[in-house]
This record gives sequence, structure tokens and C-alpha cells, in this order.
Amino acid sequence: MQTPEYAAPATLNDALLLKKERGADASVIAGGTDLILRMRDNVLSPALLIDLRAIPLANISLTDNAMHVGAYVTLAQLLANDDIAENFPALPAACREFAGPPIRNRGTLGGNIVNASPAADLVPPLLAYDASIVLASSGGDREMPLAEFFTGPGQTIMQPDEILTEIRLPLMPPRTAASFIKLGQRRSMAISIVNLTIRLTLDASSAVSEARIVLGAVAPTPIRAYAAERLLTGSEVSDELIEQVARNAEKEATPISDTRASEAYRKNMIAVLVRRALLATRAELQKNASSD
Amino acid sequence: MRPVTEINIQLTVNGETERVAADTTQTLLHVLREDLGLTGTKDGCASGDCGACVVLLDGQAVNSCMVLAPQADGSQVTTIEGLAGNGDLHPLQRAFSETWAFQCGFCTPGMLVSCHALLESNTNPSREEILTAIAGNFCRCTGYQGVVKAVMQAAAELRAASSTPGTGHD
Amino acid sequence: MTESNVVGRWTSAPGADEIVTGRARYCPDIYFPDMLTGKLLYSPHARARIKKLDVSRARKMSGVFAVITHADIPGENSYLYANPDQPLLAVDEVRYQGDAVAAVAAKDGSTADAALQAIEVEYEVLPGIFDPLEAMQIDAEQVLKGEDNVIMQQTYQTGDVEAALASADVIVENSYRTQWAEHAFLETESAVGRIDGDGLITVYSSCQAPHRDRMQIARALAVPESMVRVITPYIGGAFGGKDEAHVQMHAALLAHATKRPVNLIRGRKESILTHVKRHPVIVDCVTAATSDGQLLAVKARVIADAGPYTNATHEVVNKLGEFIGGPYTVQNLEVQKIAVRTNNPITGAFRGFGAPQAAFVYESQMDDLARKIGMDPLEIRLRNGVETGTRMYTGVVVREGTAMKASLEKAAEIINWKKRERCERQPDRHLRRGFGMATILKGCGLGRDLGDHASVILEMHRDGSVILRSAAADMGQGIVTVLAQLAAERLGVEMSAIRVIRADTSLSPDAGASCASRQTMVSGNAVLKAADSIRDTLLTLAAGKTKIAKERLSLVGGKLHVDGEAHGLSVRDLAERASAWGYPLHAESLSHFDYPVDVPDVTYRYSQEVFQFCTQIAQVLVDCETGQVTVERLIAVHDVGNMINPGGVYGQIEGGCAQGIGYALTEELIVKNGHTQNTSLENYVIPLALDIPEMEIEVLQIPEPFGAPLGAKGVAEAPIIPTAPAIRNAILDAIDKPLYELPMTAERILNA
Repeated sequence: MQTPEYAAPATLNDALLLKKERGADASVIAGGTDLILRMRDNVLSPALLIDLRAIPLANISLTDNAMHVGAYVTLAQLLANDDIAENFPALPAACREFAGPPIRNRGTLGGNIVNASPAADLVPPLLAYDASIVLASSGGDREMPLAEFFTGPGQTIMQPDEILTEIRLPLMPPRTAASFIKLGQRRSMAISIVNLTIRLTLDASSAVSEARIVLGAVAPTPIRAYAAERLLTGSEVSDELIEQVARNAEKEATPISDTRASEAYRKNMIAVLVRRALLATRAELQKNASSD
Repeated sequence: MRPVTEINIQLTVNGETERVAADTTQTLLHVLREDLGLTGTKDGCASGDCGACVVLLDGQAVNSCMVLAPQADGSQVTTIEGLAGNGDLHPLQRAFSETWAFQCGFCTPGMLVSCHALLESNTNPSREEILTAIAGNFCRCTGYQGVVKAVMQAAAELRAASSTPGTGHD
Repeated sequence: MTESNVVGRWTSAPGADEIVTGRARYCPDIYFPDMLTGKLLYSPHARARIKKLDVSRARKMSGVFAVITHADIPGENSYLYANPDQPLLAVDEVRYQGDAVAAVAAKDGSTADAALQAIEVEYEVLPGIFDPLEAMQIDAEQVLKGEDNVIMQQTYQTGDVEAALASADVIVENSYRTQWAEHAFLETESAVGRIDGDGLITVYSSCQAPHRDRMQIARALAVPESMVRVITPYIGGAFGGKDEAHVQMHAALLAHATKRPVNLIRGRKESILTHVKRHPVIVDCVTAATSDGQLLAVKARVIADAGPYTNATHEVVNKLGEFIGGPYTVQNLEVQKIAVRTNNPITGAFRGFGAPQAAFVYESQMDDLARKIGMDPLEIRLRNGVETGTRMYTGVVVREGTAMKASLEKAAEIINWKKRERCERQPDRHLRRGFGMATILKGCGLGRDLGDHASVILEMHRDGSVILRSAAADMGQGIVTVLAQLAAERLGVEMSAIRVIRADTSLSPDAGASCASRQTMVSGNAVLKAADSIRDTLLTLAAGKTKIAKERLSLVGGKLHVDGEAHGLSVRDLAERASAWGYPLHAESLSHFDYPVDVPDVTYRYSQEVFQFCTQIAQVLVDCETGQVTVERLIAVHDVGNMINPGGVYGQIEGGCAQGIGYALTEELIVKNGHTQNTSLENYVIPLALDIPEMEIEVLQIPEPFGAPLGAKGVAEAPIIPTAPAIRNAILDAIDKPLYELPMTAERILNA
């Protein structure tokens, strides 16, 4: 195996030019917590590593209608940001259960997205908040819904000359709450057996105007349980509806068996966790409503 | 800026400037242990799962086995060897000894660095906060009880020292 | 215990400063300027014939200094714990996915890796034997050509089991399964071999048995043992997994072949794949009792998966059978002990040594029995518990049995067992809280009729400082501290006056392996004996100088005391006097782990007779929808005799409990057709800091009267033994589901 070359370009433009020049032979490295493992396991053998460390890509800013998060932001930085905590609480909730402190100090939001693991913990919260991403290339940038990004385990629609630079989270309407649940074999340093994020937004009459049920680790990519979501939209969140939605959610999942859990267990856990997350989200909405 | 295979990195390790020729097959852990002879930091798994290799990189606790050497260029690194100041043991080191917060000691350098990172940002951590701070440091010998005790003891000592004028502490 | 100066007090370990500053050197930290990197090539198959093995290309590579195969071994090509059936380097067959085939020494790791890649091996993959039940059959294919797959088939019987079964009111019969467990010591197996100028082969070894390592290295290299030196630097954990040898002989062979120092450090994945594991067992157990809970009989059949090689299988399975009746007065017992070769991972010593598997069986049986009869789990245990003078089903007479019931009662008191129903049992719709207990015994020492001894050398210099030379390997359990404390106490000096030279076969006499919870006792007694000899010389000199009768004199804290009061003379003064007058303050002593001869026939072979009793009670919260278990509280009450080193004792208990929680709930190697599926510390799931509750530990100090230095006995193994059955019984209490398989994962709990 050839020793990969290394470059740490000072500007995004330099990085993009390099990426365009070397294409799929070059891998972008940020925190490296996934990439280095894949290289060590010989799953990935890039000829060139393009390190983003010198490029200012770790900004978090709040505009009138969206949160802009640089792709190089680490999980630790996400956890420390008050605007994210206030507006998108499911994201820091996912960060808190992610690996352990040393990994959180290096792993980045962009890295978790681009690595495209079906069990990625940060992706379901992003999808629940309707995140979009910016893919930059020397030929121009394109913004797309994160929901269109993943095509399979470790596979995305990213082109060989593109670099993920930013994640955009539209500010949520009032009367929004979300819950994140992770099922793992221990409380830290665990890859999810099942994870999910549910986000509900209510309208003035307390019916659901927007429902997002995003499941992780139970399909080739993180998925939305669209049919289950449709059951919720337009209705009030009653106990009966919660039961119905929970039972429905697993229908769209195609989990596998591995050393952590069997397919059957994963399927069964979807209903359990969806129910819990719906109850928690509804409780949060009620709490917010009463304190308004 | 062209891609290179070998790069001369410069980093500050425990206050000393070091220059090392490194490539992408080497990790920061390798540089510390093999090039600089700082064998205090240990290799327990080479996959970021055990924390035996934790050092401070620009003030943050990281698994040095998961940092490629070139990625540490221009950085400040603190290893276990840099914890004690001027020959005196850091209160954490003394506390670990006194409370038997280690047995075989192999996880201890990484554990101490993680605890040190905690106390730098939280002078009065709760039990839960301590456990969270060391949740990426695997210890097979102790069950973590002694570590919690040691951190509480050291935290108290550091708080007392910082509230007492003229104690000579930084 | 009488007033002590050093023993029983919290004291830092002698090497503490080195450890907390990072100066402590473990094998991977040892460096020589011309050192090479050694690596091993392992079989990728669980069973295969080696059709071709060609190392010529690898040998020619630049930067490669040696590539050796079985043909290059000057001496015996085998490990030797009990049976020389495991080759160092495979000859014509590989029998598990960890059999080493070749060894290389190169200028650095990447060159060594390249050399491994360049070795050409052609395998003919053979169908493996993976089910011990199948492997036991008469017509089963042989794992080792010419050798029976069944390597152990023994039955121990006492009393009249059939009659007892026939007369019983209640019978509980269950089949239990336990898993392969991985030691997961933080420092993987490592060694550094070097040849000194005069041909001495020095091996720095991360090991538990330096003298046994020396024997194995000498026989592999075909040199006398006097030409081999084994040194243990700091050892990063072992828990039994470094009792059997691992890479020491290969490091020595490579050093011998290259005439340069060679280090050999296994990577984590390699380590999980290749070193010994805890024996998985299938145990069918019948327990019979009267309707008021008196145990009448235990009948068990144990089938252990030995992997392809013997290692410590006989000893482990024998120990399992020895304790299968628990710390109970049952007099009718039959245990059939069977161990079978397979092409699964190799198995061997692991903290507890068969006792954890046995305890899972007998303590689960006790709760099942209690339920069937309608008796409280505490009551049924007290009813049947051993006491001082009880003759056990092994024939051993319990000399200090009061600790068994004392530990039960104390643990029950701490958790308020009688009032446990008042605790919120269903804090939420899907959560159930439960309480479970387990009480166990484990012996100290290798066992009756096995040579169990240790020697030590103690020297006091003219300035009163002391060197203690013991080959008892300290892998974190704290034996170095204990021995230093005992020496300091008996010599009447401060801890700081004692320097312990860590195990070095050229400097320290044989102390045997650090295993079987034996070192505190056997090396401890050796230290006291040696210290007594030096102390006697000092006091004789003191009596001569002061003209005071020796009986009135003592040494405490570095000073001479007369009738308990400090005198002007110091130990240093006396030591100077001894040196000036030509009285050597030097002693070597040998201590045997003695077994009482004044007892009736002890029928169980190699029985242990000094017991660690321990009760643990677990309070768990079971999530009935996910099957996940949280251990909310863990109470552990341990009988340790006397505590010499409190930090070490509490540490051993806490650490053992943590390991027990993993063994109970999440740890298992998943092996399919001889191939281990989970080979990292991420997917072999060990509880971390957030998963372990704050443990409540009580130490019972009831001095062990027999062969125990200052009344202290070993505490190393007991802590890991009751945890799994205590949690199992707590889960049973919470959700009314009995479990018979370890680990009790979330899925298994839901499916039960």
C-alpha cells in the first residue's frame, strides 16, 4: 500500500482545485475518526489526503431564518453552542451519546454525514430538522436537501470533485419539539443498534403540521418513515394515534442482523422507541405550551 | 502548496519545540512514543476505542492514535509527562496514587489527561460529570470508583489553592 | 489485629510515582538502539492443512532480518503449561484461527507487515469441528491427529446421590450455557527478547509466571535455564490471560536468530483472535432438596469447550467441579467433568478459573429452588450455608466458615433485603426493579498435592534500607505493595525504606505464578519468615547493646522500642552495628502453602482449602420493552481475612465486580465456524465508566487462622464470581424470567 500524500490547503479554493485534480484518488480528512479506521482496515486506500484543518470551515452562525454550521465543526463545539441547543436540541442530544469525549473533540458534523454510515447518529436529527447541505466544487456550489444525499451504506451522491462545506438548518416554527433516542449496548462508545429522531410541529389548533420520524441503523441509509409521518399530519397527537404510528413505523425499515443485534430485535425496537419518542415530544410540546 | 509524502512537522510538546519528519502512515501517538521517546502515552487498541493514548491537542483531550502526524503540525501537545510542573506532582497525580485510582497503570496516563482536561474547564465536577469525562477511557482493573474519588480530591485541592492568595500555583 | 504501623493502612504502591508520571516501563516501552520489530503470521482458517509454506521471498526482503518457521526452532516446538500439544509455529496443520505459522523480525513495523505479506502459505481448508457435543462422539473426526477429542472425562462422587434424588421433595433441573470471555487487559501480549554478550537470553515478558516462562523459553531454544533470564517490567493487566505463555518464546527465537533485540507486541485484534479465553461450558445440573429447603444432592454434567489445545483446561474444569455445590453443606454430590477439543478459540486461565461458571449454575439453581419451594432466597442460603467445621462435599473441612453467613447477612443488611418489597418496583410502565443475591466461595492456592511454594530474598543494608527480591509478578493486583508492607511491618521500618525489585529470574528465586489468589499468602509468608530472621539478628544486637532482655524489645517505624516506648536507637543504628560486626542482614526463605494433615480424607483432587467467601447483591432496573438492564446498586461483602493493603483490596473488589457486570450482561465472543466475529474493543462490549454503578463494598476482617500472613488471604478472584448470578437472580425477581445463558443480553432477556 502506497503511503498517501498529504496536503493541508490554506483556502477552500485550493482544496477544491486539488480535489478536482485528483478526484476519487483523494480523500478529504477532517477529524479523521472514521477515515483513519477505514484506512487502517484497508477499506480505503487514498493516494492523497486533503486536510481541511487550515480552512475556516467551523463557523456557526444564526441568520434570520437559518442556522449555518460549517462542516468542520466538531461535536464538542456543537455541544457548546447555545443557539444550537436552543433551536435544534435533538442535535446536541445525539452528540451527548456519541462515542466519548476524545472522539467528540475530533469528530466533525461533516465527517459523520460524509461517512454515510447507516447508523450515523447525527444524521437523523439533521433530517428531522429538514437540513440542507452545501457541496462545493471548483465549478460552483450546490445546495441540496440532506434527504437526497445518501444512496446506500457508505454511499452518497457526492461527486469526486466535491467537498461538503456547510450544513443549513432552517429555523423551526414555534410549537416545535424533537426527541432523540439511541439504543446501544452501553452508555458510551457504542454504535447504535437503533437510533431515531422525531420532530413534531403543531399548528394553532394543536394538530400536527409537520411530522418527521427519522430512523437510523435499520436500513441501508437513515430513513424517514413517511407513511407513519402521514398518519400524524393534520391530527392531534392522541394516545391511540401514537400506538398506530409506532406500529406503522417499522414497516418501512429493513434492518439486518449483525454482532450487535438481530434483524428481529431491531424491527421490534422501532415501535418501542417511536412510541417513547412521540410521548416525549408531545410532553415537551405541552410543557412549552403551558409556559408560553 | 503541493501534496507531499513526507512533511517536516513542528509541534510543541510539553512546552518544548520538536521537529519531526513524518508521513501519513504515522500517528501522533507514534511520533510521541517512537520519535520523541515519550513512552508514557500508551497504545491499547489503535482504533480509538480505549483512550490509553489520550493526550491534549491544543487543549483538548483526543485519541492520539486517531490523529495522523501531519495533522498535528503547529499544534500544542500535552502528554502525561507534561502534567507535573517543575518536578512536583500535579494534585491529580498525587490523588491517583493516594486513592488507588489505578492498579496496573496502563490506562492511567490517558485517564489522567482526560481528568486534567475536565478540571481545566470544570473546577467542581459532579460524579456524573467525571464519569462522562472518562467515558472514553477504558480501565479493566479498577471499576472507575478510585478515579472518581481522586478527581474529587484533586478538584477540592485545586479550588482551595486558587482561593488562597500567594500559594505559588499558576 | 494488633496495632500495626504499615499493614492495614492506606499506602501508595511503591511504583505509583512512576505510573502517574508515565515513567513506568511496560514491555512495549522498552527500547534498544538496534531493536527489531517482530510479528507473527497467523492462520486465517479454523482448520486447515498446510500444503506449502515458503518464506524465501520474505527472507530476501531488504530490512528483514529473520523469518522463522517450525523448522528453525532449535528445541521444542511447543508451549508447555500442562501438555505440550500447542505448537509455537504450526507444522502441517492449523487448528484454530490463531495458530502461528511463521515469525518475522524486521527493521520496523511496516517492513515486518510487508514480510508477512510476502510469506507464501497454501492451505487446504478442512471442515472444522465446532460443536463440543459433536466433537465428543465416538466417530467424530480428531481435532489433533492421533488424539482423542475428549481430553478430560472424570466423575467425582460423594455420598449417595441417587438415593438422595429419590427421596427429595423438590427437584430443580436446568441446562446452563456460558460464553467465551476475553480478558481485554489494556496492554496486549508483548515481550522483548535480546541476547547479551555472553549468550544470555534475556526476555522482558508481560507475564504472570516468570520462572515458568523461563522454562518454556529454555526448552524452545534448547539451552539450559541458566542461560535464560526473564524480567517482568510493569505489566498492563493480565487477569489470568498471561499465565499461559504467549509471545515470549517467539521473541526469544527471533532474538536468537538475528542476534539483535526484538520486540513482539500483538495488536488488539490479533490479541482477541489468538490468546486464551475463558472456557465456555454447558452444564446440566440437578439440585434436590426437601420441602423446607435443605439441600440433599447436586448432580451435574459439565462439558467444556477446550479449543484445540489443552492449556489449563484440566485445572479449570477441575476447579469448576470442585465448587459446583457452592458454599453449602450438601453431602451428596456427583459431577461429571468433560472437556473436548474443537477448532474454536483456545481457552485457559481467567480470573475465577472455572468458579464463575460454577457459581452461575449453583446460585441460579438456589433461586429457582427457592421459588419452587416458596422460600426467601436469603433464608434458603442461610439454611444450607457452611460454617466452621463443616465437612464439604469435597472432603475439605471449612476452618473459617463463619464468613460465609456473615457475608450473606451483612450484604442483606446493607441493601435492606427484608424491606426490599417497599422499594418502588415499577417506577414506570415498562420498567421493573429487582433484587438478587449470590454467595460464593473460591479457594486460595494451587490446590492440595500440587507444589505450591514461593521464595523471597530480603536484604537490609548498613543504612537500614532494604531490598526485597520477589519473583511474584505484579500485574496491577498489588502484590509488590503487599510484600513491601509485610517486610516494612515485620522489620519495623517505614514503607519508604523498602525497595522491591520486580520479578527477575536472575535476581529473584521462584515464587510460582501470580494466580489462584495465592501470592499474598505464599509469598507473604516467605517475606515474614525472611523478615523474622533479619529482625531477630537486629534485636539480638539491640539486646546486647542495651543490656535489655530481647523479649522487651521491638522495632517500630524505624526505631527500637522498649516495652512499647521509643528508645534512642534506630533500626539504622542497629543495621550499621550489624554491618560493622559482620552479621549479615540477609535472608532467603521458602514458604510452602501447607495443607492440614489432621483432617479426614480429602477426596477431591487438588482441592483448595483456604476460602474467600463473598456475597453480592444486585439491584437492577429492567426495561421490559428493550430488555436492557441497568445495575443500579451492587453490594459486595468480602471476607479477606485481614487487609494488608486496603487500596489494593477495594480496588480488586471494584474491578472484579466491573468485570462481573460485563460477564453477566454484554461480554461474549461471537464465534461462527471457528471465526471470531467481534475482534475489537468496540464490538466486544465491556461496560465503561457510565455503565458501572457506585459499588457498596464491605470488607469482613475475620483473620484467616491457617497459613495466612497476619491473617490475610487472597482476594483477587472472588469479586468476579457472584456478580453474574446476582444479576441473573435480580432479573428473575424483576420480571419473573429465569435465564440460563450468559451473557444476559437485551435480546436474550426479551426472548426468554
